[in-house]
Amino acid sequence: MLLDCQDITYQYPNTELPLFKHLSFGIDMPGFHAIFGPSGVGKTSLARILTGQINDFTGTVTTKKDNSKILYTYNLERLPDWSSVENHLAKVTPSGKEDLKEVFIDFFGVRKIAHYRFSKLSLGQKNRVNLIRYLVQAFDVLIMDECLANVDERRREAIILKIKEHFPDRCFLYISHNVSEVARFCRQITILRSVHKSPQAIAISGLNQTKEKPFEKETLEKTMLEVMNAV
Amino acid sequence: MLYRRLYQFFIIYLLGLAILFTIKYTLRLSEYVIPAPATVLLTVAEVYARYSKDVFDTFSVAIIGQLISIGLAIFISIFGRHASWVGSFVKVAAYNVQAYPIVALAPIIFILLGDGFLSRLLIAAMICYFPLLLSMLGIMSEPITEVEHFYAATGRLRWQLEVKIRAFENLHKLATVIAGSATLAMAGTIVAEFIAANAGIGYSIRIALYQSDLSKILIALFFIGITLSCYQGFLEWLGQQAGKLWAGNA
Repeated sequence: MLLDCQDITYQYPNTELPLFKHLSFGIDMPGFHAIFGPSGVGKTSLARILTGQINDFTGTVTTKKDNSKILYTYNLERLPDWSSVENHLAKVTPSGKEDLKEVFIDFFGVRKIAHYRFSKLSLGQKNRVNLIRYLVQAFDVLIMDECLANVDERRREAIILKIKEHFPDRCFLYISHNVSEVARFCRQITILRSVHKSPQAIAISGLNQTKEKPFEKETLEKTMLEVMNAV
Repeated sequence: MLYRRLYQFFIIYLLGLAILFTIKYTLRLSEYVIPAPATVLLTVAEVYARYSKDVFDTFSVAIIGQLISIGLAIFISIFGRHASWVGSFVKVAAYNVQAYPIVALAPIIFILLGDGFLSRLLIAAMICYFPLLLSMLGIMSEPITEVEHFYAATGRLRWQLEVKIRAFENLHKLATVIAGSATLAMAGTIVAEFIAANAGIGYSIRIALYQSDLSKILIALFFIGITLSCYQGFLEWLGQQAGKLWAGNA
């Protein structure tokens, strides 16, 4: 199992109900996967558990490798404004990954705005710049929490397909409220449900669309229905 | 910004004078209690050169005291910014010590160090230091999660970068706090001079008080106010320029 969460129970201090009660789920292969669920169900908290930002839970989180690097990015992140976007990206790109950075800068449409400070960018541009700096890091799992929320649909689709093409051996956990996107692009959709429901997490297979493998409209509708029913 | 500071000062000062003279003429108070405007003008001609020198003397001590306080507050707030044992100790110590009025300690300082430059400097720095420290501790111990997250997650968040991020994000607050602390430094120096020193405008005010000469005190207040307004205006302008330069908006 690439990522295995077993029997996780967690309650925030000073709250009446636990957020997770005996939550179990696993990801058994690399690829683009999703964590889907209604607002407040604990998607971000689960991401924080996976990255070790929350430690006082019971249960186990195990990864295939002992020192697996799990990164988490979300759409509100900012780059410091004391320097231009291209300077920041150059500074945080590990040596040997410069070419990859340049590929993403071009493909994500960031080249023209790279000399601006971060605060001068639109929300969609901010999302793309932020994602680039994560993609050039060393990671085994990247949790993308609504990190393309402000990017237009066509570009978002292109970016997701590009990521899938470039990182076939890495694991992505895509957190989004867009059911059609999740159903189309993700291999496994882990649906987080309210703490009152058992099991709290259900796994559904997505269409896992790639450049080479387009999807059929009917299958997409069927998967979307399956996802919505599971929630 | 500087002009705003100056005209605000002039409005307040002239308003104060107007109230004073209204009281004088309404209650028909004598020259000894509140001098007439003509007497004040005559005194200006008599003391302006000496008082300008005195205010400059006080102002120099206040600036040095403020710089020492800023340096010390930055240093301590960097150490005290985390929720570690050392951090908590620094915060608690800062809160407790600042609750004690520094002016009450002034006599001890004068007894130990005499009535010269060092005593004035120390009192100015101490009065200015604690409010500065509390503000800086507040700024430095507040994480800027949406900026720091990436650096923390990728193992790049060293203390220098953390301090840089927090200072940059709170530059406006820092500039305001530093400009505000100028008043405290000046007040500290004047209080020190008033209590026991042998130089500065506080010392001149003490002598004027012994002579019951309100004209001299009013003139001293004018010089103090105008100097402080210019300095605060300059500090605010400096903060604004630093922000623009750092954020690339110059």
